Amino acid sequence: MSDPVLRFEGVTYRYPGAAAPAIADVDLAVEQGEFVLIAGRSGSGKSTLLRAGCGLVPHFHGGEVEGELEVAGLDVRAHGPAELAEFVGLVAQEPESQVVSTTVRAEIELPLELRGVSPAARSRAVEEVSLALAIEGLLGRATDSLSGGELQRVALAAALATRPRLVLLDEPTSQLDPVAGDELISLLRRLNEEWGVAVLLGEHRLERCLAAADRVVALAEGRVAFDGGPTDFLEWALERDEALATPGARLLNRAGLGTPTSVRAARRALAAQGVSVRAPEADETPPMRRSDAAALEARGLWVELGEGEERTEALHGLELLIEPGERIALMGSNGAGKSTLLRAAAGLVEPQRGRIRVPRGVALLPQRPGDLFVHERVREELEGEAAMPSLRRFGLEAMLDADPRDLSGGERQRLAISIVIAGREADGDELPGIVLLDEPTRGMDRYRKAELARLGSELAGGGAAVVIATHDVEFATTFADRVVLLARGEVAADGSAKELLTGGWYFSSEVARILDGAAIGVEDGLALLRESLARMRDAAPAGGGVS
Amino acid sequence: MRSALAYTPGRSPLHRASVGAAVLYLGSLAAIAFVYPNPLVLLAAGVAAALAGFAAGARRAVLASLRLGLTLFIVMAAINILVNHRGDTVLVRGWDVPVLGNTDVTLEALVEGAVLGLRVMVAVLVFGVYSACVDPDRVLRALRPVARRSAMSAGLVTRMVPLAVADSARLREAAALRGPAATPVGRGALARRVVESSLDRAVDVAATLELRGHSLPGRTRPRRDPSRDSVPVAVAGATVLVVSAAAALAGIGEFEAFPGVKVDAGPATLALSALVIALAAVPFAVRRWRERV
Repeated sequence: MSDPVLRFEGVTYRYPGAAAPAIADVDLAVEQGEFVLIAGRSGSGKSTLLRAGCGLVPHFHGGEVEGELEVAGLDVRAHGPAELAEFVGLVAQEPESQVVSTTVRAEIELPLELRGVSPAARSRAVEEVSLALAIEGLLGRATDSLSGGELQRVALAAALATRPRLVLLDEPTSQLDPVAGDELISLLRRLNEEWGVAVLLGEHRLERCLAAADRVVALAEGRVAFDGGPTDFLEWALERDEALATPGARLLNRAGLGTPTSVRAARRALAAQGVSVRAPEADETPPMRRSDAAALEARGLWVELGEGEERTEALHGLELLIEPGERIALMGSNGAGKSTLLRAAAGLVEPQRGRIRVPRGVALLPQRPGDLFVHERVREELEGEAAMPSLRRFGLEAMLDADPRDLSGGERQRLAISIVIAGREADGDELPGIVLLDEPTRGMDRYRKAELARLGSELAGGGAAVVIATHDVEFATTFADRVVLLARGEVAADGSAKELLTGGWYFSSEVARILDGAAIGVEDGLALLRESLARMRDAAPAGGGVS
Repeated sequence: MRSALAYTPGRSPLHRASVGAAVLYLGSLAAIAFVYPNPLVLLAAGVAAALAGFAAGARRAVLASLRLGLTLFIVMAAINILVNHRGDTVLVRGWDVPVLGNTDVTLEALVEGAVLGLRVMVAVLVFGVYSACVDPDRVLRALRPVARRSAMSAGLVTRMVPLAVADSARLREAAALRGPAATPVGRGALARRVVESSLDRAVDVAATLELRGHSLPGRTRPRRDPSRDSVPVAVAGATVLVVSAAAALAGIGEFEAFPGVKVDAGPATLALSALVIALAAVPFAVRRWRERV
């Protein structure tokens, strides 16, 4: 076997001034052509490991490194990121910070030009990479006119332009809609299979990429907790840390039908056992919503963004009625108009036509909750007597002297919501009529998403309609009772979560895809499977049957 | 939303010409703003820059620059009549105020301020067209063999400006979303957050620059620009520069504000003004002629 393209041996790394190491005693070798998935909770060390794999740790971030760390046989301590970039490319989480040129063509060409590659070879490489990533239509575009998904692809193209032997990706799908996310994973698999590029991918949404992986490395508190094949990983996760297991694996494992790594494997497992599930008869009469009791009413809402030639229609005569207490997942592809709708409801953009009404008040949590923190202490973020009920409601009254930036992820989220709600109570201590959260699940592990779903349910229980814009179908299944799907600035579909997240290809949960839309989540899917297995046992002749 | 002055890729002669040619062309118009005091010639340079911008498809940049330039024009004219009281033609008789002295408003001071404002306006307009039509990446690459570290710093700044603008807009919006009982965000706190956010961003962008290879020893092999637009653009720029320099040496287009306003509006000055506009249009005319042929 050839030398590994990436080798960690007993690597421990501590950021400057940090008390505890970010990664500790890591042993890891990635062979040429391998597709390795890095799993782990938020803060488990995934990003640090990826940054060490391209030399940014320690050259760029400083700090102390112990152990041996090699990329393509080169000692990372002796060779900087610029030298190592010939062998390894990095695609980080934030697409905006990953482009440094004004046009897409220049961005892809830059690493080659800086390495003295001839103009003809550069042109060929740009053409090849752009064709491989299907971005040839973007080559002449200005980088600051691209969407997040397009930027992510351009960053990947720039990382691949030097034809590296290894590409490292840190949650590259976190900002992408399900279609674009699936496309990116397929693309990585194709690059891996056809070009032989080794892939090291850090991800939270494992159901999206586990089937593509040859191997999974799970990190816990900076240490390698597991290293093995996807099936073994799922068995390990189900035993040690169930939140890391995919919904499909949890479903079939609890039904005693194995631990499939993909929808296809799960369906095969069900077929092999002769299990077929039937969806219970549903009485899906759409509820009648009354505009006089609405928490939000949008009528013929038309919003255009930008100026001059760059003016685009973000919302296109949108109609929507939301009642108090509803839990809504607002879904749709990148650019469908989700954020614009939330911003229009909060009064941040003026509609050109139509109207939007929020009679009992509105609070909007922006995409980056950290943007709301401007003071050094929690108590300084909220002032006066009106603020305390808000802090108390979210269980933050004991953290008045803490720095908002030192709070845990969940506490930060709760503080951010208490800041946007503070003083907006519609009537006495009641919540505002509607609380809007714009893509709050980015970069969250399943535990934090569950915490967020609980918080959303508490707000809805308190009488507020809660609308969460999200790309995360699995999160939507745990939180929402209603799904509004936007497309090209209009409501394309509006119905119960059960109805909308079960029948489709992309906007469908993993359990729904496994069970042909008969169930949406693990619990109701499990009930159906158990029912079906019981039916089979009853129908089986004595002595035979299903194990 | 993108800034009106942000570079937008295009196919105009200004976009396609080499960096040197484009800088010579626009630089020659900017040079007039610094060398000539005559308002007719300044006006011609401004018209030439605006027409070049429109012809290159940089309408938004031209209009934004005109708005900014006009504001500066008014401010400079207003300041000049407040601080300068020389001149024979008194428009408004003021008082003798302690410390400030004589506060008469004179026509000559007004004209001098207007000419200063016009100079600034032309310079802003030229910069606006440059910013929208000349690819900063190509400028930085041209600079890299000469000063690698400076090019890297300039690359970081070039990328940081639109990011800081976007961050600032986002943070202002977040401040507006705070509930009525949340502590209001003052300008100082907001500015501090923008700086913090920019520093965080700068670290990420610098990491990307590092990964792209900016710190590698200069081995760049620049692309030879095959564009046929470079020659007419460079020739037009060089001709404007030579003609305006020669005319200045010959005393054409003279202007005096004090003690009385004297504007040379003779045939030579008018011809020079017309020539500046005509020469600026040459690269676009040549392109059109080539396309037709």
